[in-house]
Amino acid sequence: MPEQPSCACGLPARPPEPAGPSVFRRGGWLALALPLWFLVYHYLEPAANALTSKGLGLDLKGHLGSALAFFFYDAPKVLMLLSLVVLGVTFMQTFITPERTRDLLVKRAGAWGNLLAAIFGIFTPFCSCSAIPLFIGFVRVGVPLGVTFSYLVSAPMVNEVALFMLLGMFGWKIAVIYAGTGLIIAFLAGWAIGKLKMEKDLEPWVMEIVFNPQAAMEQRMTFAERLDLAVQGVKDIVGKVWPYLLVGIGVGAFIHGYVPQDLMARFMGKGSWWSVPLAVLIGVPLYSNAAGVIPIVQALLGKGAALGTTLAFMMAVIGLSLPETIILRKVLRPRLIVVFVGVVAIGIMLVGYLFNFIL
Amino acid sequence: MLIEVFGPGCAKCQTLEKHVHQAVQELGGDHQVVKIGDYAAMAARGILSTPALAVDGQLKFQGKVASVSELLTLLKS
Repeated sequence: MPEQPSCACGLPARPPEPAGPSVFRRGGWLALALPLWFLVYHYLEPAANALTSKGLGLDLKGHLGSALAFFFYDAPKVLMLLSLVVLGVTFMQTFITPERTRDLLVKRAGAWGNLLAAIFGIFTPFCSCSAIPLFIGFVRVGVPLGVTFSYLVSAPMVNEVALFMLLGMFGWKIAVIYAGTGLIIAFLAGWAIGKLKMEKDLEPWVMEIVFNPQAAMEQRMTFAERLDLAVQGVKDIVGKVWPYLLVGIGVGAFIHGYVPQDLMARFMGKGSWWSVPLAVLIGVPLYSNAAGVIPIVQALLGKGAALGTTLAFMMAVIGLSLPETIILRKVLRPRLIVVFVGVVAIGIMLVGYLFNFIL
Repeated sequence: MLIEVFGPGCAKCQTLEKHVHQAVQELGGDHQVVKIGDYAAMAARGILSTPALAVDGQLKFQGKVASVSELLTLLKS
């Protein structure tokens, strides 16, 4: 997604309905939709196989048959999972605002501050167009620079949508590995930047800015408004990313049906040491929505790519984005930019090697 | 009314500005719409996430693209 995809930020527009009766309508609608969702989700795979083998008369073990069955199964599965994940995540995010996170982190120097910042970075809505106001607001109100960086690394790298998609598609182990390693990288990167005392590497104008936290006021919302926002979030995000998702699933289906089993194992297996840095190098300029990467990850793993290498690729695609780095250059001097990108890239590679080594 | 739209110029901020212009046109009357991309000005107003909107100097919301109808309700009150 080349045009400003990183701006999938903030909360979506609120729909025009009055808030009062809508909670009952939405609530009732959701109570019906959720069991139906689970029922349909459960029968997706047999339905996709039946469509491919009986409907189209293709052999499920053949190239075209297995690619099509993969696509018919994965396309509705990923879209359904994404809708549910976005609904839950957007609802949750109406509670965790950047203001609250900042108030929690102010004056919290030391490792504890880095850890808290990394954890909250996972769940707060974040986009690169908000990166600078957020950065200034954090630093100028007294959040230590290193703690701010832990947040800035964790926010895009451990993407909340990617996390729950991994949980739904690969189980809790891979989801925990993804979140855990992302947290460790964010923690260590912020901690290192704090220890290096790089405050002098901010652009001078940043330190002259006066941030006036009193000027902003808290936005209060009712339960119905939060639910409305969550439903609107699903429409916004799923409505925007579905074509990219289908392309991602198409690539995944092609890999699944046509790429020989041992090819990926040779290029992305444990044996080749250079595959991890290569995965990061390929991943950085590829900026994709978190959800679009998941089907490709699935196909790569299925074809024998090593878990560490695949995770490194995914983290580089989601976490280190070129547009965000260019935006941050406005507030950071080149030396700090280099340290920031370098520490994160090294961290991702270490994760790749670590998991290739232990699993 | 003085309506200020804060944002560095990303897609979401432009959408909000467009919505504000539409809302103001529907509302009628004499209103001034200003787009502010200066980070120091945002900091002075306590803005952490963009796009944000202020009416007559008072910050109404941030980190959100409000719809035209939502803006109309907000501007009428």
